[in-house]
Amino acid sequence: MMRLPLALRSSATRLAILYVLAFAIAAGLLLWSVFLITQRLLVREFDLVIQTDLRGLKEHYDGEGLGALTAALNRRSDSWGRTGAVYLLVDPQFKRIAGNLSGWPPVQRPVDDAAPGEWLEFDIVARERNENVDHPVRAEIVQLDGGRRLMVGTDITESRNFVQQFRNAILWAIALTVLLCMIIGVWYSRGLNRRVRAVALACEKIISGDLSRRLDHDGSNDELDQLSSIVNLMLDRIEQQTVVLRTTFDSTAHDLRAPLHRVRMRIEETLRQPNLRTDSRSVLNDTLADVERVQRTLVTLLQIAQAEAGAPLAARERVDLTQLVDEMRDLYAPEAKRRGLTLEARSEPNVTVRGSRQLLAQSIANLLENALNYAPGQGSIEVRLSVENGQRVVLEVADDGPGIPESDRATVLQPFRRLERAPVGGAGLEQSSGLGLSLVAAVVRLHRGRLVLTDNSPGLIVRCEFETFRN
Amino acid sequence: MHVLLIEDDIEAARYLSKGLKEAGYSVDHAADGRDGLYRATEGKFDLIIADRMLPHLDGLAIIAQLRERDDHTPVLILSALGTVDDRVRGLQAGGDDYLTKPFAFVELIARVEALLRRRSNNEVTTRLRVADLEIDLLARTAHRGGKLIELTVKEFQLLEFLMRRRGQVVTRTMLLEGVWDLHFDPQTNLIDVHVSRLRQAVDKGFDLALIRTVRGAGYTLRDDVG
Repeated sequence: MMRLPLALRSSATRLAILYVLAFAIAAGLLLWSVFLITQRLLVREFDLVIQTDLRGLKEHYDGEGLGALTAALNRRSDSWGRTGAVYLLVDPQFKRIAGNLSGWPPVQRPVDDAAPGEWLEFDIVARERNENVDHPVRAEIVQLDGGRRLMVGTDITESRNFVQQFRNAILWAIALTVLLCMIIGVWYSRGLNRRVRAVALACEKIISGDLSRRLDHDGSNDELDQLSSIVNLMLDRIEQQTVVLRTTFDSTAHDLRAPLHRVRMRIEETLRQPNLRTDSRSVLNDTLADVERVQRTLVTLLQIAQAEAGAPLAARERVDLTQLVDEMRDLYAPEAKRRGLTLEARSEPNVTVRGSRQLLAQSIANLLENALNYAPGQGSIEVRLSVENGQRVVLEVADDGPGIPESDRATVLQPFRRLERAPVGGAGLEQSSGLGLSLVAAVVRLHRGRLVLTDNSPGLIVRCEFETFRN
Repeated sequence: MHVLLIEDDIEAARYLSKGLKEAGYSVDHAADGRDGLYRATEGKFDLIIADRMLPHLDGLAIIAQLRERDDHTPVLILSALGTVDDRVRGLQAGGDDYLTKPFAFVELIARVEALLRRRSNNEVTTRLRVADLEIDLLARTAHRGGKLIELTVKEFQLLEFLMRRRGQVVTRTMLLEGVWDLHFDPQTNLIDVHVSRLRQAVDKGFDLALIRTVRGAGYTLRDDVG
């Protein structure tokens, strides 16, 4: 999909623009038809006057002859004729017989919107304040017997001016309507956007751990306000559950660790006695090793549980992943070398994410330990850190071990799903509880990232995607 | 040295007191937070070991109240929570070190010793010297017997950490925390590999081995013979 410019991505803005357009088009159509109808009415009015006048004069002529018509024309042109009236009577050679025009107009315009009859428009030149001004005239012509022609018309300058002013007024009205609509639209969408942004901001704060935060509501009880109230109710429930969960979690951790602690203390105290029998000492040492194993599993399980519960991190900090990857590479490189493996890191500089350095470090450690345990002799492990599309941080740990069949990749991330593949590394591996990858998955989720297992053919690539650090 | 142990788990407290006494410390025990705070303010202690979750008054609250009264007795927090956040909160409240239960007793002793020694040596130094081994903290160089030792940045930090605690037992966890700032237990014994590399650089070719393994505990750097 094409990306819209930022301003248009808001649905309120789009809606406002749509409304402005629709309203402006509707108002424009309405005003424009009012204009056209008014213009038509004006023309009809003139035409009717001209027609009546012409018919009257023709009746004069038909009844009383040329002399009477000429007298009537002279009378009307001179004194009490209607305003702007134009009369001309010509002989068959278009010579003036009577009327207030000096001669037959040389340039004429055909008229297409008039009643039946012979109509025309032309301009006459009038002197006004020492200037020659064109006055448009609309006129009807009638043929009289003997080849004479009678023309009766009206100076339509005033009406033309009126139409012009009326059109300007309507264009202004449309422009002002659009402007007003736009102002209202911008104001409305700004207000809506501001409220939505406030909600989004509050939600982000809540997601990043401030569970006591609530959305503002202004009591207006409109849709947004109702939504805020409902979301607040939901947050109350979530907070309540989180508190219960955390308390349960804390007391479970405490109730399991305290007895384990006592067991360990007892064993250690007994082991400190100098005159202990050798076989007893060996039994106690084995027991202590088992206690340590239980303890290790418990720690990891509690960590997974806590991360999965989405308990917000109190320790969210800016973590320089580039530096962390280098440090972890340096930490594990000698051990890799000891096992005959190569461990390399390829990192882009200054890649940062927001989160817990400790948990991220532990995740990288788990991935490296997994890779160490499964990479074959002479194998190589590579840690890659990059930023994709400028917005996604990708951390990959790749080995060339046996890999994980595609069908197992989803289940291997669940706790205790140890694969039926034999680690090749060596000592200490029977301690691996199958929790390593689960913890990584939980930590990645806690950082709002994504974990994907892919094929390195041969080998496994564990790919962790995070959001880049933003202030 | 006088240690105050604030711990509500009576049996655990008994074992700890006994162990600490065997290691040469005199121990006072308080079984709840209120009593603990009272004793801490009344008595004069070199170190306080406080459980995180206590009846009446939380371990962190005790530290906060002590610090408010300008009492800077070092406090080691013992916690059965052990989450990343809990550790951060503990140190933010003014705790000096944090140990998750269950822990090995040697770990506790090593940390107690480190906290007690830390107090007495606050002066700014630019050079550290043990026998014929000398490091320059400004130039970040190390010499043994006048000969320059090539070290990586981390190896130098590791050596500095050990030299600052000469004669003390330093556990693997303490090294991981102090040198790498990592607060979890790796599955493999990474630290051993790093220490043995450092040892190669520092002790190889010299009669006196300065970096020594303490069985079942960790390492120590010392120059006495034996």
